[in-house]
Parts: sequence; C-alpha cells; structure tokens
Amino acid sequence: MRPPLDIVQQWFQAVVTHPGGVAAGVASPDAQGLVRLDRGALERLVRRSSRLTAEERLSIYANAYYARLLECLGDCFPVLRQALGGEVFDGFAFDYLQRYPSRSYTLDRLADNFPRFLDETRPDRPAADGDRPAADGKAPQPSWPDFLIDLATLELAIAKVFDGPGVEGEPLLGLADLLALRAAGSFATARLVPVPCLRLLRFRYPVNAFYTRARAAEASGPGDLPFPEAAAEQVALSRTDFVVRRYALTPFELEVLGALVAGAPVGEAIAGAAATSALPDDALAAQLDAAFRRWTAAGFFRAADLAQRIGLGQ
Amino acid sequence: MTTPPRLGHANLGLGVGLRAAHFEHILRHRPPVDWFEVISENFVDSGGRPRHVLRQIAELYPVVMHGVSLSIGSTAALDFDYLGKLKRLAREVDARWISDHLCWTGVLGRNTHDLLPVPFTEATLAHVASRVRAVQDFLERPLVLENPSSYVTFAHSTMSEWEFIARLAEEAGCGLLLDVNNVYVSSFNHDLDPAEFIRSLPHERIVQFHLAGHADYVTHLIDTHDHQVADPVWELYREAHRLTGGVSTLLEWDASIPPFPVVHAEVLKAKQFMGERLPAAAAVPAAGDGRSRDLSDAAAPQPSGAAVAAPGGHPAARAAALAGRDGPAGGALAAAPAPHPLHHLRPEVA
Repeated sequence: MRPPLDIVQQWFQAVVTHPGGVAAGVASPDAQGLVRLDRGALERLVRRSSRLTAEERLSIYANAYYARLLECLGDCFPVLRQALGGEVFDGFAFDYLQRYPSRSYTLDRLADNFPRFLDETRPDRPAADGDRPAADGKAPQPSWPDFLIDLATLELAIAKVFDGPGVEGEPLLGLADLLALRAAGSFATARLVPVPCLRLLRFRYPVNAFYTRARAAEASGPGDLPFPEAAAEQVALSRTDFVVRRYALTPFELEVLGALVAGAPVGEAIAGAAATSALPDDALAAQLDAAFRRWTAAGFFRAADLAQRIGLGQ
Repeated sequence: MTTPPRLGHANLGLGVGLRAAHFEHILRHRPPVDWFEVISENFVDSGGRPRHVLRQIAELYPVVMHGVSLSIGSTAALDFDYLGKLKRLAREVDARWISDHLCWTGVLGRNTHDLLPVPFTEATLAHVASRVRAVQDFLERPLVLENPSSYVTFAHSTMSEWEFIARLAEEAGCGLLLDVNNVYVSSFNHDLDPAEFIRSLPHERIVQFHLAGHADYVTHLIDTHDHQVADPVWELYREAHRLTGGVSTLLEWDASIPPFPVVHAEVLKAKQFMGERLPAAAAVPAAGDGRSRDLSDAAAPQPSGAAVAAPGGHPAARAAALAGRDGPAGGALAAAPAPHPLHHLRPEVA
C-alpha cells in the first residue's frame, strides 16, 4: 500500500481527529473514502512497534489532539470553566471542536466562535433561526444559556483586548482637550476617535460582577459560585499599561459611547441617547459630565476629529 | 562547495525558551542567559504585552524564532500571510534564524496544532524540499528544520528518518535543529538506535540543539517538555556536541514550568557534557542567592507503570461520556498530550 502523500494526510487527520477515537475514525466514511482499510489491517499503512499496535500508536495523536485543544479552550474561558466545572465545560468544548475546528495557524483564534456556538446549540433555541419570541410575543426572558453566552463573550473580549492593538505610549485625548473644545464651541460637532482597544458590551446577566467574584473566589480557594439572577449590565473594556480595565456603564452611557464609537459627533450622540432615556435633562447632564471625566481618564479616545467643521486643507 | 559549520551562524551558547511565565523575572533581573528562543506564533499577531516584552528582550539578548505552524510537510498550500508575518517579526527582533519542524499540522483548511509525521519516501522528499526552497526564497534566509518527536511510522517509508533529513538538508540547502530529546523519544518509540540517528546526520548543517524532558509511559515516550532532561538524553547530547564541535543549545520547558532560575540551571548542565576541558560541576548555581544547590532534589518524578489511563482519565473521554458517546479508542493507552508551546498567558485584568 503506497497512497500518495495528500491521501495519507487527509486519512491521518480524519482518523486522529474523529470524536469517537481511532477505531471509529478508521471506519468513518471520510477515512474509508480515502483509504479503504479495516481496523485489523491498519498495519498495512502504519507500522506497529515492539510494544504498541498501530491503533495504539495512532491513539497517542488522537488523545493529544483533544487534550491539547480542550486545555487551550479552558485557558481561554477560566471563569466560565470555573462556573460550570471542568467536566461540563469540557463537554461543551468537545462539541465545539466538532463544529468549529481550528482553521488558523494560531491557537489564539481557536475560541473565536465559542459564544456563537453556545447560542447556536442552546437547548431553548427554536428550530428556525431568528429571535426567540415568548408565547405572548414579547422579548423572551433571559435564561441560563444567556448567562453562559454573556460570560463567554466577556472572557473572549478580555483576551482580545489584552493581546490586540493598543495605544501604550501614545498621547490620548484628555479632559483638558475636551474643555478646550467646549471653550472653543467645538465640542458638539467634534467626533471622538476611540482607541482600538475599546470594547462596548451589553449583557443580560451581570457577568462582569460575576467575573470579579470568581477571581476573588479563585484567589481565596474553591467556594460556591452560584449563577447570578438575570439583570442587565453594560461594560466598557479598554487597556492601559498592557492591563485590561473593566468599566461599568449606565444604559445612557452605553448609548452615548456606542454612538461616538460609530462616528457620530458628540452633540448628536448625546441627543440620540437622551431621546432613549427617561431621566430628566439635569440628571443626564450630571451623568455626562462625570462620564466624560472618567472616559478621558481611562483613555477611551485618541483624538478629536474636527475635520468636517473646520475643513481640512483650507 | 563545502558547507560552513552551522551554515555560518554563530554558536550563541546556552539559551532558554522564552515563556510568558518568566517575562517578569527576565525583565527585572536580566539573568545572564546567552540567548532566547521564542515561539513565533505567540508573537506574530500580538499587539499587547507579549510583543512589548519581546521587543525589550530583543534589545538585551540574541533572539531566535521557532515556529510550530509552518506545516512544511503538508500538502496544503503554504500560508504566505503567515510567512509575511514571520518575516516582519524577524526583522523587528533581529532574529538570528527562523526554525520550525519537519512535519505537517493539518490539511483541508484545518490545523490540528500537532506536529504530525510524514512518510519517508522519495515523493515526500521532493515535495518537502520544494516547499523549503519556496519558504527560503520568501524569507530570504535559510530555514532551519527540527526533527519532531513522533509516535508512528508509515509502512511505505523507504528510508530512515536520518537519511530523509540528511537528503532534505542537502537538496533544499536548509539548516537543521537537532532536538536531542526528540531523537531519544522517537528512537525509543520506533525501536531505533538514537546514537546511530545522531551519527548519521550531516553535522555541518546542524545550527542548533534542543534539549527537553519527556515522560516515560513504559510502552512509549512522550515529548512533554515538563521535566528535566533525562540522563540518556544528556549522553546523546555529549555525542552530538562532539560530532558538531558545539552549536547553540536551547532548553525547552513548556508545562509545569518551574521558576526561571531552575530552567536556566537546567541548560547550564550542558557544560558538563561539552568535553573534558570544561569543569563537570556536580551542582549548579541557584540564581539569585549566589549559593549552589543540587537540582536533583527538584526533579519531578517520571510517570511510571504504564499503559494505563492517565490520572483522572482523558478529558476527551470524559467529554464524550457527557455527550453520551464512546471516547477515543485506545483509551486504555496513556494519554498525556504532546506539548503545545503556544502561550497560555492569562490576560492581566484590573
């Protein structure tokens, strides 16, 4: 038996990545379509050693494949793994690898589809795609799959912010810059350029608070970590000095920041968010003043773009 | 034309694989390590702390780039996007050379993130040699390829691994990274003579040595990088050093990583195997305190006893059980994974 290299490699991959193990992999239609080989005839292609059969030797690769990738996924979602327990988490991760095997040269992208996978496979998902309308036509109440999805989304975002592009060492927009814009009458028309490490997240469960509790529990030893009750939570992530920082936001602040990140001028962003808020103008103004102070201190913006108002090149 | 020793590369001395667990120690203490090897994939896409640290380390020490995703033996197309990133990073950190493994990692768009073996045939040789030449043309430098640990061989191979490596180096003009531990592991697993393996290689093409620990499962060895270097591997290293005249030597430690001084001390043991003119110290200095200690006390116990399930059972089997199906066959086989030296740097979060 002398199959060409491409066939050998496709067969080998089909066998050692099969979720049922080597014997099931050898018998699978994928492998049989490449190399018609019974389990008992494996040694026509793979040599036995003095101590191990061909199947046992292939199993070293099969076991390593799942062990390595499950460990990697566990490292990507330490708090979710802590919340679920290792065995349940590994069950999710094992199924995830069937649907979303790695297609990148880097393991850093292995987890990219995990929140999506949790949503796609949630037990209360309707057969057809789309939202999950409740029986009375209202938006469905959050349930525990939403907690898992939200927590996975938070942990994935933290990992991306940690090793993604940042602005360490660069000058950022400070409070004094905003005050200067206001004094010049340019604040409302300015567009604030967000730093590339800024992420805005909206959750159905308070997973950011849960994340904080889980880390504290991890530091103090194993303890009970019950799932929280559903409650809306808004979070901004950013990075300074190579450390990921988490910032709780009010719904109004999230609306303003979302519009700014989308490129709206400051005045337009504020007006749009205010229209969605039931709070009186005085309260919103106080929130905004405090928020812009926090956001500039946190380094959310690189610069203010005044191009449209002042006209570049004039 | 005679090939210059080490393809003309300098002998950098005794180095250590850079791991995230040691970033802080290295930057703070600037230990007297001769050089560092970095896992290329840990840094090519990094826009955060890992790359920031690497830039600082490259200012202080010679750096070599070692990859795990080139997949030079694959029948899938070469990834020139990845190669472009390698080239840029090599310029950025002034990498002395770029290495990867004589293996493949996946086909059909998938990556197993394992170092998978190729059959040693004339067809494979021609295929791999042509890809090595293409990569070298792109990178504008000779590639350095490592012999991986392997756990199977193919019935239709027509030559030994060392013959394949020697002919590949000759035909493609590449350098070799001789992983002495991998020679020992593969030779045990395939009933070969590791000394013959090392004697049969083209020594003038060996640019670098790797040393690492492995796990002994009685029926087979696994290249786990989670132990100190085994005595028989040190003896092979002695022979490899004699045959090559000495080349850059690097210790890899990727799991159960001890404090940096322990890792550094392990590679310094290599001095004992470099010939009679060098002192064969029984103890090595413990960095930081100026005293000496016998590291044999710190040696992690080797797994023993055999072809039985790894402690706790295999995660995939547990996961499969949860999903209500059978786990991987061969589950009675020890299932410690091969190392995966991609970083698991936990994000720093306030």
